[in-house]
Amino acid sequence: MTVPASTRPAGWTRPGYGIAAAGALATGVILWSAFPLSTGRAGTRLVFAAAIVAGIMSIAQLAAAAIGNRESAGFAALDQAAQRLTGLVKMLPWAELLIVAVLVLEALHGSRPWHTAVLGVALTGYVLAVHLTETRAGAGVLRAQLPLLCSGIALTALSVGAAALPHFMAGSTDTAVRTVVLVVAVVAVGLAVPVWLSRSGPERGR
Amino acid sequence: MHWNLSGHARRLLILAVAGVVLAVLTRRAEFAGLAAPALLLLATWQSDRNPRVAMRIHLETASLVEGVSAALRVEIHGHEPFSARLLIEPADGVQAVASVDAPGGHPTRTAVLRVEPTRWGRYSLGVLMITFTDRYRLTEGTAVVELPFVSTYPQAASLQSSVVLSRLPSRLGEHPARAAGDGIEFAGVREFVPGDRQRRINWPATTRHGSLHLSTFSAERTQNVVVIADETSDVGDPGASSLDLVLRGASGAITRYLAARDRVGLIIFAGRLSWIAPGQGRRHWYRLLDLMMATPGGWDRAPGLTRLPRAALPPGSLILVFSPLLDTRLVEALRDLRERGFSVLVVDVLNTEPAHDGSKLSRLTARMWHLEQQAVRFSLTQIGVPVVHWDGVTSLDTPLAPYTRRVLVAHR
Repeated sequence: MTVPASTRPAGWTRPGYGIAAAGALATGVILWSAFPLSTGRAGTRLVFAAAIVAGIMSIAQLAAAAIGNRESAGFAALDQAAQRLTGLVKMLPWAELLIVAVLVLEALHGSRPWHTAVLGVALTGYVLAVHLTETRAGAGVLRAQLPLLCSGIALTALSVGAAALPHFMAGSTDTAVRTVVLVVAVVAVGLAVPVWLSRSGPERGR
Repeated sequence: MHWNLSGHARRLLILAVAGVVLAVLTRRAEFAGLAAPALLLLATWQSDRNPRVAMRIHLETASLVEGVSAALRVEIHGHEPFSARLLIEPADGVQAVASVDAPGGHPTRTAVLRVEPTRWGRYSLGVLMITFTDRYRLTEGTAVVELPFVSTYPQAASLQSSVVLSRLPSRLGEHPARAAGDGIEFAGVREFVPGDRQRRINWPATTRHGSLHLSTFSAERTQNVVVIADETSDVGDPGASSLDLVLRGASGAITRYLAARDRVGLIIFAGRLSWIAPGQGRRHWYRLLDLMMATPGGWDRAPGLTRLPRAALPPGSLILVFSPLLDTRLVEALRDLRERGFSVLVVDVLNTEPAHDGSKLSRLTARMWHLEQQAVRFSLTQIGVPVVHWDGVTSLDTPLAPYTRRVLVAHR
């Protein structure tokens, strides 16, 4: 069967929106993991600075990829400077460095499970935003991943619950929390199983 | 075919590994939970990938023309679970659409990409990069295909009218000749003589004169046209240089006269002479354009260029010359043609002049150069070779208008 490909150019989603979303998420995760700076251990400010640099460079990397190689405007020196700058921006995996820096920043603070869970969700969103912007694809391509994302977020909630358990008093509250955690686990597994089945079913024979 | 983890997968991996490591180091379970979405997404990674993929690439047009976009059809066989993104890295002188997506799910997929050559010549279209991505965007396979070399014909200059000689050879064509014949253009009325066809009797004239009269018609003849393209020099801005204009003008004239069922020949006046004798038809159009593209241009100190080959010049031909008139050997050849009795029309495509720095000596040399150019054109005009100037922007009809409104009288 011959099916004509989609004639819609890949750039149909405006890269500006993706860059803005990734930039907002990067700013959010840096600030969320860093503040309050006073409660952080030694080295917090240094890692904070590194996270800011990585965040800026990762957004610049996305912008450089979106702009691509433009025609020379005729100013050789300016063109060479722009090419060197673009090469510098593309040299390192800045998004990965941002992820590590943000996680280290979070680890430099005291235990705050719900705070870490929110950071995890935001970081996952940042990774997805960067991917969509890089590939200039619409959010529809993540439809297949949606059940897995829901399962993962449910597991994150489960872990937060597990981390928070020692803080609760034993008794009826403890039982209620355990019940909620159990329900969340069942929902997570219920969402995950169909995905595994669909993956191992039709694609096995190919 | 090169398979690898996608950038998305690498970022998820970093997030998952960093979360798990920090959970172990800090003994904080929430970091493990933070890594859970990334770990689940990574769990869908598949290792069974077919290293081979079959592709068929072909142009949908028989020939590429400068400034005209063409469709490049790419058929992908296999890898149906993977969506494909096709991207052309165009070579210099080629413009291409950003990229095209071919979604997965079908054994054979066809994608159509548009390419537009912006200059004539023979060159590669560039490189086609096909990136296969799995459903979960974790695995990427990249195939790089060199696109073929193509010949891009120059964009034909617009020419709606044609210069027609007063004396045409006795060969059936579409131009009304002076001689009476079996054409459809009314020529006059004369008395009937025995042997004339009765269906041509002009009854109104017969009634007026009281004797049988019949209508006469002009014969329809073809003409031989020889286009001379001067490729000895290439001066001016790239894209609008004299060589560009020579080729576009010659291409326009060839296209126009062949469309009018004339017999068209071509002489390339470059470092050496190349020619094709007059002929007709679509296949002949391709032969002429291919000769134009195949002949290397440039100036060469070749001695025998002042006399053009007799085989390429049928008697009574119309000679159309596209030239910047910078090579004196061509001027001598045109004088020789005129002396041999050909009707010659020169289209001057020189739209630039030597740069000068404004000094007195420079101004003097520039003035001398201008005078020399004027003298060349004047000398041609004096021997009966009209010279018209074409700027390459307007239609060729504009400079040729004085010679297309009426027949060009062939002097001998």
